[in-house]
Order: sequence, then structure tokens, then C-alpha cells
Amino acid sequence: MTGTSGPQSFMRSKDSLLSQEVIVMLVTLFLCAIFAVTLPGFATVGNLLTMGNSVAILGMLSLGMGVVVIGRGLDLSQITAMAVSAAIVCQMIGSGYPIPVALLAGLAVALAIGVANGLIIAFIEIPALFTTLASGLLVYGIARITVLDGFISYIPKGNDAFLYLGQGRLFGIPFPVIVFIILAVLVHFMLSRTSVGRFIYAHGDNADTARLSGIPVRPLTVFEYCVSAVIGFLAGLVMAAMNASMNTQVINSTLIFDVILVVVLGGISLIGGRGSVWSVVVGAALIGTLLNGMIIMNLDSNLQSIIKGLVLLGAILLDNFLHPRNEDTARQGD
Amino acid sequence: MTRKNVITRLIKSLPAAAALVVAGGFAADAQQLAGGKSSGELRALVDSKLAGKTVAWMPTTLGFPLTDMWTHVMQQEADQMGMTLDVRDPGWNPDTMVQIVNSLIADKPDVMIVHNFNVQLLAKQLKKAEEAGIHVVQVNMVSNYKTGAYVGADWGQVGRMVGEDVVQACGANSGSSGKVAVVQGDLTSAASIEQLAGFKEALAADPSITIVSEQDAAWDASKANTITATVLQQHPDLCATFGFWGTMQNGAAQAVKAAGKTDQVKVYASGEGNRQDCTNVDDGLFYKFLNYSAPRQGEAIMSAVSFMLQSGLAPTDIRMAHYSRPFWVTRDNVDASMCFDVPG
Repeated sequence: MTGTSGPQSFMRSKDSLLSQEVIVMLVTLFLCAIFAVTLPGFATVGNLLTMGNSVAILGMLSLGMGVVVIGRGLDLSQITAMAVSAAIVCQMIGSGYPIPVALLAGLAVALAIGVANGLIIAFIEIPALFTTLASGLLVYGIARITVLDGFISYIPKGNDAFLYLGQGRLFGIPFPVIVFIILAVLVHFMLSRTSVGRFIYAHGDNADTARLSGIPVRPLTVFEYCVSAVIGFLAGLVMAAMNASMNTQVINSTLIFDVILVVVLGGISLIGGRGSVWSVVVGAALIGTLLNGMIIMNLDSNLQSIIKGLVLLGAILLDNFLHPRNEDTARQGD
Repeated sequence: MTRKNVITRLIKSLPAAAALVVAGGFAADAQQLAGGKSSGELRALVDSKLAGKTVAWMPTTLGFPLTDMWTHVMQQEADQMGMTLDVRDPGWNPDTMVQIVNSLIADKPDVMIVHNFNVQLLAKQLKKAEEAGIHVVQVNMVSNYKTGAYVGADWGQVGRMVGEDVVQACGANSGSSGKVAVVQGDLTSAASIEQLAGFKEALAADPSITIVSEQDAAWDASKANTITATVLQQHPDLCATFGFWGTMQNGAAQAVKAAGKTDQVKVYASGEGNRQDCTNVDDGLFYKFLNYSAPRQGEAIMSAVSFMLQSGLAPTDIRMAHYSRPFWVTRDNVDASMCFDVPG
């Protein structure tokens, strides 16, 4: 796979050699090389797998967000969809419901959030930024009042089959990493090999042209937000299985910004229509390397935030440099 | 003693018992006259100081067993004393906390109880509240500005107690690596700062112990999990990990379990003793848990409130603290009664 895979490659003739994916990959390799020399225990298979495990959830969320951003959208409610649907699953398992029933209920909640977001954005035409910001707050508030007992829902002992999703290993590879790889392959296949995928690129590149060309842009929007919410649900399940619990406080954390960081970092531009699954993979790899190195160096969290902030700023500057703005390429939030 | 024996004894002691009853009756009568009156007066005096008073309570957030249990107990105590409990939930948002305290200063409740997760955040506001004549109780996490009363754990003591146990478990004669990891809460919280200091103080007794990591997980189990997984990879021979809150350390315990090292790595945590804390000890996920008991703290908080109001002293004239007595929950002594379920 190259940095210019997918149907968008024709747009990249000028900067194909130094596309954002390639730059980020080079930075990641450079960082890895430095850490490997300076940090004992960094360059081991075990540590690389741990690193993969620790960014698997972030990577999954970024795949979902990536699909939305390629369609020139933004889903700030993704963490809410993740935490609320997974917490409902935990709570139902805790109350004695069979696991499949709990999973179906969680999936239904996530899908409902995705459909609602999509309908409001596509048909009432309220900007994605405001819609998803509001829907995230609304859904969380409603869930807290009606369904969830508290912030934390635990999975009781004796559900090891479920916990395997977050704690198990297959051929020595942590299961969350395997889930991420499977999802990445599926999303890549959808984006690059199916007409729906091509429509999503067309939608993000120029929504009006896409509509005039006969692409059903509105149903497509609903589909994009459903993909984001359902992938959020899967990431939530993995997170719940990892910790044997789900803490919905995560909704108030900076996780959503980490997701946007990975997406933008890897070259899925906020102007839409650009980037690919490969962008998410390299973005997650860079963040994972940074986080892992900073934990091994035992840096305190304030310093870690500063470094993460600088990287995000650098990525946005790079995005701006590689994809200069004009009125056709207005970004989300402009 | 046989049944017959008992009956004989009873019969024999009847006259004496009758005499006692008569004498006691006279005495009780006399006492009731004097004591009954003074008891009634005392009750009236106390009611005049407490009944109808308003107590405002702002936890960091509702929704955790810790804060929900406090609130439940405080509500019961407030009802018993005839006071109104006004609960304000800032939802773990520092800006909202400042706004709530500012609006409370304007509302002028008789007492303000705050659970303050940052040593600097509310310092100025709390001083202003006391100057405005509002009694201020700080709970479990304290600001740099010490108000009339503090009720909660003595974090230095909690850290030292865990440290002393870690010295036993991982020290020179334990045959372990002596490597210990710390999972802190927010770095700006008094609970983190003072627990870490106390823990290090105790570890200083044994130079063979080294702290290999002291990352902060911001009270979040998921972060504690990631940090611990990485630390375990770096130090596969880790002897112990100590988390500053059971709810957060649950994530670290899962990471230890996922690495298949539950028998080797001793997972320590301190906390309020919610149901999951005891379950984690029972399931072998926690090695030992140091419990400072939220329900008892809830009662102590309201005792402090009652004292402050009854004393008649001005808020700035009182400087008191009630430190919770921490106790160990271990695999040997764990018992359902050591932890609480939030009622309702």
C-alpha cells in the first residue's frame, strides 16, 4: 500500500512523494529509532504489542471518525455513543441478561444515535459540529437519568468470554489489536473497493457536485454517522472488556480530541475527500509511540498534554500547507 | 446450668429483686423529674441551634458510589437534625465548581460542605465564604486554604500505612525485585500529593525498594490500565503497584490479570470501600485494600457541622479536623460488611 492509495490518488499528483501519511510515517520511524536507542525495553516485541494494545481503541474510534471526516463531517458525539452503549451492555450483563441480548441492546442504542445525527445533519441541514456536540450531551444526559445507575458499570465475575475481547490473546497478539486490524481491513475495503466508499469521497470532496451527479448524498450522510457510532460501540465493548467495567466519565475526557488528532495527523483532512485507512494507521502509530515512550520516560501528565498539543498543532499546520484553503474547501468549524 | 437450677435461683433472688425494683423506681422517679427537665431543655437548646438551618453540599460530582454514599448518609443526618441539605452537582467541572461556590456565597447557607479535587481551585472562594459568615467543611480532599473543618482521610497516614505494608511485601527479605509502581490521581489533588509523600516516607526505610513509575491516571481506570500494562512490559518482575483510588486501580488490576501476573504483582489500593472494592479483594484482583469508609465519613461530616453550629463560634474561629480511621481489607478478613452498597 502506498501513501496515495484509494480513489483520491489522482488529486495528489503534486505531493505524492511527500504526502502527509508518508511524512507521519517517517516521523514515527524516526521516533521509534530514537526510543529504541535511548529507552531500554522499548524495542521489544512485547512492548510493541503493548503499544498496539494501548492505541487499539483510539485507532478503532479514529476509523469511524475517519469515514465521517472523509465525507466532510465531524462526529463529536462518538465518545458518547461508545460509552453509553457499552455501559448499557455492562449494566445489562450485571443485571443477569444473556450477553447476546445485552449486545443487541447496545448496538440498537448506538445505531439510534448514528441515525439521529445523520437525519438532523442531512435533512435539517444543521452543521455537524453543532448537531453532534448537542446530541452527545443530550444522549448522555438522558441515559444517566433513565438507564444508567452511576458513572461506572461493572462486569461481574464469570463473564470471561466477554472479557476475552479486551484481555485475551490470539497467537500472542492482544485481542484489541486483532479487532482493530479486522476493522481497518473492512473499512479500507469499503472505502476503496465499493461504490459506497467512492461516494463518500465524492461527498466530502464536493457535496453539491456529488448531488448533481446523482449520488444520494442525504442517505449517504446517515450511513456515515451510523458507521461512526457503530464502530464507537465496538470500541466501547473492547474498552469495557479491558477494564471489566465502563466509566461513562470518559465522555468528559479529552478522548474525542485524541481521536481527531489521530485522524488529522494521518492526513484525513478536515476539508473532506482526502486520506484513507492508512492515514489512521500511521496517525495511531505515531500517537501510540509517543504515549508509550512518555510513559516509559515517566513524564508527568502536564508535560504529556503539552507534547500532544504541539503535535496536533504541527499536524494542522501541515494539513493547511498541503491543502491550502479556498471557498470550495471550507473545513468543518470554519 | 440446668433448667431447674435456674428457676431455683430466680425464686431465691426474688425478694432482692423486688427491693431493687422499688428502690430503683423511687430513684428513677426523682431523676426523671430533674433529668427529664434538663434533657428537654438541652434538646430545645440544640434544636434552636440546628433546626431549620441550611447546609449546602457540593461534591466533585454525583454518580460515583463515594459521593452518592456520602450524600445519602448526610441527608439522613440532616433530616435527624431538622436541617435542609441543598445538594449542588458540578459534574466534575472545575468552572462549574467555582460558579456554584460563588453563588452559594451570595445565597448564604449556614454551612457549606465542599469536596475539592484541586489544592488551588477554590482557595480564594472558600476564604471569602468564611469571611461572609458561612461555616465551611472540606471533605476528603482539601484546598491549600484550610477552612473551619476538614473531615476525611489523613492522606499522609494512608500513604505511610500502604508504604509500610509494601516494605514487608517487597522489601529486602521478601526475595522480590523490590520494584514498585505508583498510579496517582490528579497531580493537583491533595489526595495524590500527600499520599505520595507518605508512601515515599515509609519506603525510605528500605533502600532495596525502588519506585519504577509514578504516572498519574487522573482517577480513570482505563488510563491506569494502559499505564500498568506498559510498566509491566518494562518491568516484568514488578513486585507491587499502589493506586490512590480503588475505582481507578481496578484498571491496573485488570492489566495485571491480563498479563497473567496476579500472583506475582501485589495490587494495593486505598479508597472508600464501595462494593466493588471488596469484590476485587475477594476475587484476588486486589492484594490489599485500605478502606477509609465513606458511610462513616458521612456521619463524621455531619457531626462536624452539628458541632460548628452549636458552638456559636464564628467560622474563622474554628480550626478542626476529623481524620478517618483507615482499616485493611485483605483476602483473609474480607467480609461483605466491610464495604457498602449505595441504597436505592
